[in-house]
Amino acid sequence: MTKETARGGGGGEPARKRAAPLLLLAAWLLPGTGHWILGKRRRAIVFFAIVVCAFVTGVAVDGELGTPRPGEPFSWLATLACLGNGLLYLTRLAWINGASGVLGGIPFGLDGGGDPVAVGFAYGNTFLYTGGLMNLLLVLDVSDIARGEKD
Amino acid sequence: MVDHLLLMIWHALLVSVFFAFLWRRSSRDRLRLFAKAFVLMVVGSVVLGWLMYLVP
Repeated sequence: MTKETARGGGGGEPARKRAAPLLLLAAWLLPGTGHWILGKRRRAIVFFAIVVCAFVTGVAVDGELGTPRPGEPFSWLATLACLGNGLLYLTRLAWINGASGVLGGIPFGLDGGGDPVAVGFAYGNTFLYTGGLMNLLLVLDVSDIARGEKD
Repeated sequence: MVDHLLLMIWHALLVSVFFAFLWRRSSRDRLRLFAKAFVLMVVGSVVLGWLMYLVP
């Protein structure tokens, strides 16, 4: 009996494959890595370029990284969206707060940078959120490809 | 760099290319989806902007 049929329980439903957690972690940390590992090289390069461009534009026009704030539930959503950028988000956060500042500032003492009075502030935020959300979609796409549900 | 129209077009470009590569496999289909999404986002934003101008 194979591992998959054992998991399926013999109830008629095919066993559902799972994507390797390390693959998904890599896909989240560095945009495009998951596709690269799965052999989708061209797509990987395009996705990497798009997410990095969105993130760099967001930072360049003084956007603020989402960080949790007490009494502001939407700040958690912004954090989740920005966290989707993976290493880009973590590196930028460490750049602004310092490595020890990041560790000591979790969850409510983190500075997201940006300049609220800058002309591009709102657009910058949008680029940062969009980049993160696109990367989260890429992680789901990698999961689908790894499970054989997409090519 | 902080021209709002240019930023909106740049954003639409990135998102359109992203979804074209995510959802379509052939070059022809990608180009079609990209063009549709890009035009819809840019023209839609401008139209919506003008409609909002009428609202006090």
